[in-house]
Amino acid sequence: MKRILKKLFSNVSSLVGIILLLFFVAIAIFAPIIAPPLSDDPYQVPRMSWDEDPQPPGFPMSDNMKEIYQYMGKKVKWTKAIFGTAQGGYDIFYGVIWGTRTAFKVGIITVVAAMLIGVFIGSVSAYFGGWLDETLMRITDIFLSFPFLVAAMVLTTILGRGLDKVMIALITFGWMGYARVIRGSILSAKEETYVMAAKALGVRDGRVIWRHLLPNTIFPVLVQASMNIGSMVVTAAALSFLGVGAPLGYADWGQMVSFARNWIIGKPGHAGQYWYTVFYPGLFIVLFVLAWNLIGDTLRDILDPRLRGEL
Amino acid sequence: MAKEKLLEVKDLKTYFFTEDGVVKAVDGVDFEVYKGETLGLVGESGCGKSVTAFSIMRLLDYPGKTVGGKVIFKGEDLLKKSEEEMRKIRGKEIAMIFQEPMTALNPVFTIGYQISEALKIHLHMNDKEAMEKSVELLKKVGIPIPEQRVHEYPHQLSGGMRQRAMIAMAMSCNPTLLIADEPTTALDVTIQAQILELMKSLLQEFNASLIMITHDLGVIAEIADRVAVMYAGKVVEYTDIRTIFHNPLHPYTFGLLTSIPRLDVELRRLNAIPGFVPDPLHFPKGCKFNPRCRFATDRCREEEPPLVKVEEGHLVRCWHVDRVKEEVKKGLLVGV
Amino acid sequence: MVAYIIRRLLLLPVILFGVTFLIYCMFSLLSPEERLATYVNNPNILKSTQASQRLIKKFHLDDPFPLGYIRWADKIIRFNLGWSKAANQPVWDAICQRFPATLELVMYSIIPVILVGIWLGVISAVHHNDIVDQSIRVIAIVGWSLPTFIFGLFVLFVFYGILGWLPPGRLSTWAQDIVYTGTKFHNYTHLVTIDALLNGNIPIFLDALRHLVAPIITLSYISWAFLLRITRSSMLDTLRKDYIRTARSKGVDEHTVVHKHAEKNALIPVVTIAGMMIVGMLGGVVITETVFTYPGVGFWAATAAQQLDYGSVLGFALLFASIMVIGNLIVDVSYALIDPRVRLE
Repeated sequence: MKRILKKLFSNVSSLVGIILLLFFVAIAIFAPIIAPPLSDDPYQVPRMSWDEDPQPPGFPMSDNMKEIYQYMGKKVKWTKAIFGTAQGGYDIFYGVIWGTRTAFKVGIITVVAAMLIGVFIGSVSAYFGGWLDETLMRITDIFLSFPFLVAAMVLTTILGRGLDKVMIALITFGWMGYARVIRGSILSAKEETYVMAAKALGVRDGRVIWRHLLPNTIFPVLVQASMNIGSMVVTAAALSFLGVGAPLGYADWGQMVSFARNWIIGKPGHAGQYWYTVFYPGLFIVLFVLAWNLIGDTLRDILDPRLRGEL
Repeated sequence: MAKEKLLEVKDLKTYFFTEDGVVKAVDGVDFEVYKGETLGLVGESGCGKSVTAFSIMRLLDYPGKTVGGKVIFKGEDLLKKSEEEMRKIRGKEIAMIFQEPMTALNPVFTIGYQISEALKIHLHMNDKEAMEKSVELLKKVGIPIPEQRVHEYPHQLSGGMRQRAMIAMAMSCNPTLLIADEPTTALDVTIQAQILELMKSLLQEFNASLIMITHDLGVIAEIADRVAVMYAGKVVEYTDIRTIFHNPLHPYTFGLLTSIPRLDVELRRLNAIPGFVPDPLHFPKGCKFNPRCRFATDRCREEEPPLVKVEEGHLVRCWHVDRVKEEVKKGLLVGV
Repeated sequence: MVAYIIRRLLLLPVILFGVTFLIYCMFSLLSPEERLATYVNNPNILKSTQASQRLIKKFHLDDPFPLGYIRWADKIIRFNLGWSKAANQPVWDAICQRFPATLELVMYSIIPVILVGIWLGVISAVHHNDIVDQSIRVIAIVGWSLPTFIFGLFVLFVFYGILGWLPPGRLSTWAQDIVYTGTKFHNYTHLVTIDALLNGNIPIFLDALRHLVAPIITLSYISWAFLLRITRSSMLDTLRKDYIRTARSKGVDEHTVVHKHAEKNALIPVVTIAGMMIVGMLGGVVITETVFTYPGVGFWAATAAQQLDYGSVLGFALLFASIMVIGNLIVDVSYALIDPRVRLE
């Protein structure tokens, strides 16, 4: 463990990853200070005007919008869209700041839940073996027969819009990798003497799994989980981009990017005039995923026994 | 009979430059190999005997590097040759046999292909000639139905057969020097004897020399003419086969001799050498064997002994040759 | 090996049952009215509750599980996947019409991915840890971290928005007139580039190519980053094997050692990965086609999803799952054929 931490901090790329991640954690924690909410639901991105067109960075809030917020009894603490506004007057800066919280929420909840399901199925499958193993592994294969994004898109469409639905879909089709990894390591650990000894002593199955097998096999799964956070967030964002994810106006990076879709080309003669609509939310997504991938890549190399001692 | 010197290794130094420090795997090794003769290179695992072999072949893996010494083969220093010249020597002049025939053979090529490869490179045979020659070689190493075996893959052969194929591969271009790195270790005892017999007869037939690398003195007794005992990257005793078994003068050689069970000597107990092979990153000061040696004195802990000639054709690296000799005479040493 | 292939083939119906069952499960999450909507081509019928109830009864859309699944599967076997609201035609027809475009896109994307990915992976492994390897690695990680929809928008922004070179869609308007409504142009394969060549119509071919380049780049870059790292690690692993040293000890030159002895071993696991790569591409198809309004099945499915056109979305899921199941089968069998250790068992 100590060795791993040492490697993580001594490797340039993972260090960059850690710094980026800390930056995002800070944004998520201080979101209410960086971008004070203007409505009761802080995840609702405030609109700066009723304009359909995006407006450039520095665009001031329109007067009638100000009146509306004041009428609703809100203090308007800021009036400039420093990253510009997206289609429909949504403030991009607010969207990306609060979108950081959304990203952490989606990433952590889906990965933890998918991991729990996967670890349960994988360990039961490996430990009991036989027809149970066969059945559970075939079920895993069946779930793996759907491209992840396609499956998530279909299930979200059926369940309906909303971040909770997105997360359910991601969890439903996101557990199989963990099941396979843990099954593999438990199958080899099962033959070890200490497990045999525990079984011979009559320790209950559940206890053998929980106390003897999992502590010795869970680590690769945890690494996989940390690497998966990035891709879960990207998939959630992709669903929003396709228009089946977060509800309209929700602070979500994918939706901010999807707002840019119709404007990316610009008006004739003004190519690239709306660059900010995709640049800021895009930058946040890319850096967030990059942070996890940089850390994950180093972890993978450290844990890959074939590459051990080579770095 | 004046013997012709085929290979001379002089003060060979090969270090591994690792993240944790420099590992002096081979640190000043000298020995000679004469034409038609077999030299045994003996030692525990990690003593640098395989690294010596790879240094001669110049097949060291990163981060290993030969930093000093000479490897004179047929009057020319191999360490000074270009990679291209070296390639012409590998397989043709000097061939190698490895410990694990399973992993040393490429699983996706047929046996025939792997044998004929060297023939095509060095003897410029075409595919057909090379295949025919491969069949002939397989027959020579005692593989039944060689016409069929050439088309098979390594995993279809048994361990002993694979090692025979490996030998056929090594002998394919009539090399003058063969280096065998623990060729029998991975095999069953009965197969071991067969493989050694085979190697002996082939060496005679081709009049080739052999460097036999092993930790097993039984193998040495079987095949070697002279022996270099290595410990911690250095040769500690270097003499002919008779002397090593009847008049060993380095305490480490004793340890090795008394740790093998023998049938002809009544033995009270098997005498394993106490302690462990030292960590190559932290060799002890002075004689590297001193922590495990019962003859060790303060001098051994301070100064490293040189390799000195004690008799004609007998070199030993020890400060206390006289005391050891006494004990040998008195028969105080268990099992000798 | 024969036993292996037979076992694998016997598994196919099991997997297909599982896949269709999973889709049916999603179908049953819908209310009977919503289920009815997937079969009805006239939305006005749905406005009347009475008519709806009658149709639900008539088509047994409220049957409990085993019976419901059998009736549903029976329709599927007859290619009755319902009515696509988004395409205003039966789902199966919509698929048939749009699939060639997607096939064309995927086909052209896979080739550069395999060539570039494997090539760079091998280079990266041979130059392990030096500057070439490190830069390839960094580029791969950054590529890996760039979501398709952002990268796609970026490509669109630069090559269409700013430079005006690579327009979205599949064909320009003038070309569409010739290809879809013209009498002289024969659609042999429905792959426009190939049909254009078969018709000897170079301008159409070039136009189609111009529309394909940007989606191909977008669809393939993640996959090549992925393939690259797999090839690299497999190659690194192989180069450390004893038999590589054996080859060198025979006097085999370095080029042959790397490209023959090592590559032949290292690329065996890569074949399996290529299967997974196609999976990644199928997911990417939806995004890529949406970004470039490329008229394939992915774009259609995304449009359908936004309109809550459940029938189309489920039909699309069934299509892609079937492709994957068959693709995986082909990969597994070819894996067995390539590796002599498996083949000769």
